[in-house]
Amino acid sequence: MGNLTESNVITGVPGSERFVQDFEKGVLQSTLKISVSQLNFYYGPRQVLFDVSLNIADRKITALIGPSGCGKSTFLRTLNRLHETIHGTRMEGEVLLDGQNILELDVVRVRRRVGMVFQKSNPFPKSIFENVAYGLKINKMGGRGLIQEIVEKSLHRAALWEEVKDHIHKSAYSLSGGQQQRLCIARALAVDPEVLLLDEPCSALDPIATAKIEDLLMDLASTCTIVIVTHNMQQAARVADHTGFFLLGKLIEFNKTDIIFKNPARKETEDYITGRFG
Amino acid sequence: MGLPAIEIPETALRPVSGRGLQRRLFDYLGWGLCTLAFLLLGSAMTWILVVVFLRGINALNFSVITHVTEGTGGGLLNAIEGTLVLALGGIMLAAPPGLAAGIYLAEFDRGRLAPTIRFLADVLVGVPSIVIGYFGYVTMVVALGWKFSVAAGSVALAIISLPYICRTTEMALRQVPRALREAAYALGASDGRVTLGICVPAALPGILTGVLLALAISVGETAPLLYTAGWSSYLWTGHFTNEPVGYLTYVIWAFITEPFESAHALAYAAAFFVTLFVLVISILTRMVLDENAGWRRLRPWEKRKP
Ligand SMILES: Nc1ncnc2c1ncn2[C@@H]1O[C@H](COP(=O)(O)OP(=O)(O)O)[C@@H](O)[C@H]1O
Ligand SMILES: [Mg+2]
Repeated sequence: MGNLTESNVITGVPGSERFVQDFEKGVLQSTLKISVSQLNFYYGPRQVLFDVSLNIADRKITALIGPSGCGKSTFLRTLNRLHETIHGTRMEGEVLLDGQNILELDVVRVRRRVGMVFQKSNPFPKSIFENVAYGLKINKMGGRGLIQEIVEKSLHRAALWEEVKDHIHKSAYSLSGGQQQRLCIARALAVDPEVLLLDEPCSALDPIATAKIEDLLMDLASTCTIVIVTHNMQQAARVADHTGFFLLGKLIEFNKTDIIFKNPARKETEDYITGRFG
Repeated sequence: MGLPAIEIPETALRPVSGRGLQRRLFDYLGWGLCTLAFLLLGSAMTWILVVVFLRGINALNFSVITHVTEGTGGGLLNAIEGTLVLALGGIMLAAPPGLAAGIYLAEFDRGRLAPTIRFLADVLVGVPSIVIGYFGYVTMVVALGWKFSVAAGSVALAIISLPYICRTTEMALRQVPRALREAAYALGASDGRVTLGICVPAALPGILTGVLLALAISVGETAPLLYTAGWSSYLWTGHFTNEPVGYLTYVIWAFITEPFESAHALAYAAAFFVTLFVLVISILTRMVLDENAGWRRLRPWEKRKP
């Protein structure tokens, strides 16, 4: 992952001025895609995210790690306003997408621009084709011929086309677990999102299927900004440009992946990645 | 390369004794009671079916389904027609509001309305059907002046069906995994699209089961129809009000106590048809829920037999 120079080491605590300065000067020579500042999140009266500030670089892979229950999925959901579908949730703070507050944008547009893939593959009870076409149809994108074309292209991008091209009108549930997850990625890619959020997309898959998805993500990163939550630290180390470590609803440390794994600034991070807890 | 051997203490491999006998005793007792319950239920059901079918088939001849009732003899054509019209009418009236209420309960239960609807549905299930018949008599037959009629009978059956359709729809929708909804929301789908385009199709077998169950109940009801549909020995002429209509359960209820052989035969034939209808509906329901049916395979989250 390139040589690290003095200038792209982040020394500040997330959210601090120093952190932001370091971050913008060093790690992010590329542009910012999403900028989260001072995010607090509540399920009813219970606060699960505390003052999270985080910058996500354009067309890079950002990994979020941390023990379960620390709010990673919740954080991911705030990035495309999916939390709004859960009753009784409340969000404070700001999420900027290309500099615009996502709360001021149309929610349908936000979700189209920021796609999501879930922990358990969740294809619709429809055919493979209909699954991928769903987002196009509900967003009224393209006529019949164009949809056909985009479905094929999306399946190609998700590295699934070769395996399904002969039975594209069969039920999505006829696919294996790994294929289903790639179908879900194809479905998310069909509406051509600028950002793809993935919530532990490989946790239910075997190592071969996992490797396929990791390769796929690294290919996708040339066209798409990727944020991946993962339990698997090797996975974060393998695929991510930047890594953030969450603990008990707080972002403890955020930096280039190399630094997080080789030279973390915070003791909690070191304890976690060396397996001392969590 | 071998894995290191794991030492398993010998005590861990021995079956637990002492409590073992007691446990086995309970096991036998449990199985015994289950078998007893099964035999009780099974024999009662077999007995009913055998009696109904044997006597029904004996009483059955071609004229039963080609002729209308004459006095306490003749055929059952008018009653078969009436039962189908009333049951289908009841379902057609009950399904739209029942489905709508079920969808509302499962998907939009925010305000105070949902618990109220749920409570009313549960109360309605518990109301004796003869009370609903009486209610229909007072309101529709007398006050609205519909007289004994298809309209009054269908509405009475609809009131009985409504809570079943509503609650089974709610249950079926609640079983649709949240992950499926989220996937649709994440693609920019609205609440309405998620509910109607994703959840309802996913829950369709369950929803259909509720409708078929309600249909079976409607076919088998007597009490609410006595007060609302009346009885007629003639074929229905297509008027919704001011024209009483025949139905199979009336024949069973009224003719079995008549002192004529022909009346008994008709009653058994009617019982045969009612049982046959309910059986066909049950088999249809089973087919809908069959794990091997095509659309069942589309729903891997539903429980399957191992
Ligand atoms: N729908 C919900 N309602 C209430 N609490 C929730 C809900 N989802 C998650 N939580 C709580 O929020 C906290 C963070 O959960 P989550 O974001 O799923 O963590 P992670 O993905 O890191 O495992 C957990 O304590 C969890 O119990
Ligand atoms: Mg999670």
